[in-house]
Amino acid sequence: SFQFRFSFFFSLPRVFFWQPNAGSTVNSQILNEVSQCVESINGVKEGRWKATLTFYKPMLRDQALSAEFPREFIGISLPEQPNKYYFVLRFNKIVLESDSSIQLIMEKLQSYKSRVALNFEGFQYQLGDFQLRVGKVVPSHSENLRGIVMEVEYLPISSLEKSKQIMEEFFDIWQDAISKRSLPGRFIHIEPDFSDYGLADHYTSQHTAVQYTHVTSQLIASVQAVQTGRN
Amino acid sequence: MLQQHHQQQHHHHLQSAITAAPPPSATTSTPPSSTTGEAPPKQVALAMDRLGQAARLIADIRLGADRLLEALFVASQPHQSSKPLHLFRQEDESMRQHLQDLRTVGKQLEESGVLNESLRSRSNSWGLHMPLVCPDGAVVAYAWKRQLAGQAGASAVDRTRLALKAFTDQKRRFFPHLDDEEDGEGTDTASKKHRNLPALAEDNQDNLGDCKTLSDVLTNLEKEIPNLKVSTYERLDWLKRASSLPASANDNTMEAPKHNFHSTSILRPALQNVASMDKVAVIELFFPSIFRAVVSLHPAGSTDPDSVAFFSPDEGGSYMHSRGSSVYHVFRQITEHATVALQYFLGIRSKTALHSLLVWSLYKCLNCYSIFCSYFVLMMYACISFCSTGYAATKLYSPKSASMVCFLFHFFFSFSNNYSPRLVFFSGNKTMNPLVQQMRTAIGNGQAISFNLTSCPSSLSNSFCFKTFIDSIYFLNIRSRF
Repeated sequence: SFQFRFSFFFSLPRVFFWQPNAGSTVNSQILNEVSQCVESINGVKEGRWKATLTFYKPMLRDQALSAEFPREFIGISLPEQPNKYYFVLRFNKIVLESDSSIQLIMEKLQSYKSRVALNFEGFQYQLGDFQLRVGKVVPSHSENLRGIVMEVEYLPISSLEKSKQIMEEFFDIWQDAISKRSLPGRFIHIEPDFSDYGLADHYTSQHTAVQYTHVTSQLIASVQAVQTGRN
Repeated sequence: MLQQHHQQQHHHHLQSAITAAPPPSATTSTPPSSTTGEAPPKQVALAMDRLGQAARLIADIRLGADRLLEALFVASQPHQSSKPLHLFRQEDESMRQHLQDLRTVGKQLEESGVLNESLRSRSNSWGLHMPLVCPDGAVVAYAWKRQLAGQAGASAVDRTRLALKAFTDQKRRFFPHLDDEEDGEGTDTASKKHRNLPALAEDNQDNLGDCKTLSDVLTNLEKEIPNLKVSTYERLDWLKRASSLPASANDNTMEAPKHNFHSTSILRPALQNVASMDKVAVIELFFPSIFRAVVSLHPAGSTDPDSVAFFSPDEGGSYMHSRGSSVYHVFRQITEHATVALQYFLGIRSKTALHSLLVWSLYKCLNCYSIFCSYFVLMMYACISFCSTGYAATKLYSPKSASMVCFLFHFFFSFSNNYSPRLVFFSGNKTMNPLVQQMRTAIGNGQAISFNLTSCPSSLSNSFCFKTFIDSIYFLNIRSRF
């Protein structure tokens, strides 16, 4: 099949995350079912993908100063941009693209330390002009499944506004397919307001970084909700 | 009376379809290994038979789709009684039956390995290859037929005949209008095209009477569709431009191609050079964020298009020319349709402004098909993008006018094994999203007809059904406009 993309622009992937129903949790069986569902609609497995998301905390001698630092300082690496590293300050609505060597610099300077690191990893599928990535969310150095994400990308069009309707159509079809499997939960997508971050309509990897940040915060919120429910 | 007859005919056909199916119909429910009990030549012959049946069923489905649409058209006329509803029900039943039969045949074909190459990996195939049905519907049978012919010791005459048949099939597929002119046969669609011709010729001549020259045509086009950017190039200039595409994101609204045709913006230099119109050989149509189309003219400066191709607005490279092929399925499909439309227009109008018709009609189609032009194109994208995966959803809308039909379709097919496809025509109360609702209020009242089909696990029947429907709709609508 025709693989190489001559496009100089990338199209916007939409990131969905799995919201389990009240009283149920995410598990690897659900991940298997989702993967099978993709294959049942003739998704062609292409390979693996991996993204990482890290919460940083400043290394301070005086801990009292920590209030002056941004509350959530997140670093993200994306599979389509191996030489870049993205920073997002979610509460300050700032996103920054930098070279991937910044991680080494931060380590050498001992300025920031990784507090929590998450891996998003799984398989990538091709469905016609759509590209689908299904992955699990696990803390690094652990196999504890925290969530499931799905990234959908429509390759021919890079305009956010124009591809919105296609994505919705795709999602309708996807919902129909997955609802047949009666899984305890569903995929949802909450579109962050990109203009808050100063991002234009034309897609860049920074948009994806912002999406992953939001998805992570929603995942954490839902995990915490389950835990408080238990307690 | 007529309906009864139809029912009888249909019933008869059904019976013949069943009797025509090979006796071991139990093979559909038994695992594939039982079919390998038959000798490979028999399997191949059975497969060819079934492909023939499938082709007949598909032709029936096409006709059924045409009838359904005609019935909808009748329904949109005032003062109709329950007659359209009756027609619908009748067609509904026969369509269901056809699809059911197609599903059966499709399953058999799948098991025999016609739709994938699984048979090749099985041993003991005596060196024969099953006919292979490609995802786009083409049947590759020549190789094995030649083998069989060779094995049976066929003469050179036979082999030549087989080769000629294969080539003729290809020609019929890609150049249907040539077929009509030469041997006078035509499909239903083609003959109807000819029937509509006299009425349309006069209509359009009036509208396009002043569009004799290339510049007139292009000016009218830009007026007609405001967002469309039209640029003209000499042939070599286009190659240079194609290699430098795509412009960076910021330049999209500020590009200044060499011969920018319609320079109304102050920012662009006024480059309309009448003399160079003689050398224009390539026309670029750019609809921002939607598509980029390349049309080639032959001879240069004339209004005779000879090829057209569509690309993503973000694509770039020297492969982007009017005979090139996009990297995306959706644009390849649109190019295919556009090429057939081009051939059609070249075929029916040899004297008037072919170019204006081609370009005008394509974009008029796109424009008319939705209140928001981009919506239709996107929906078309969605369905075509899924074409290769087997899923499709498409919405088509056509506004009311004297000669056009007025209804809203929503086709929804799926091809997964666990999912039952629906074919839904609606212009009634059912809605999927607010945009559709807006469209519906714009259309006015209409009928809501919904067909729930039985499940069709066979990918053969589904992909052919899909293609058939889309082709039928496409040509029906092209027909009804021109």
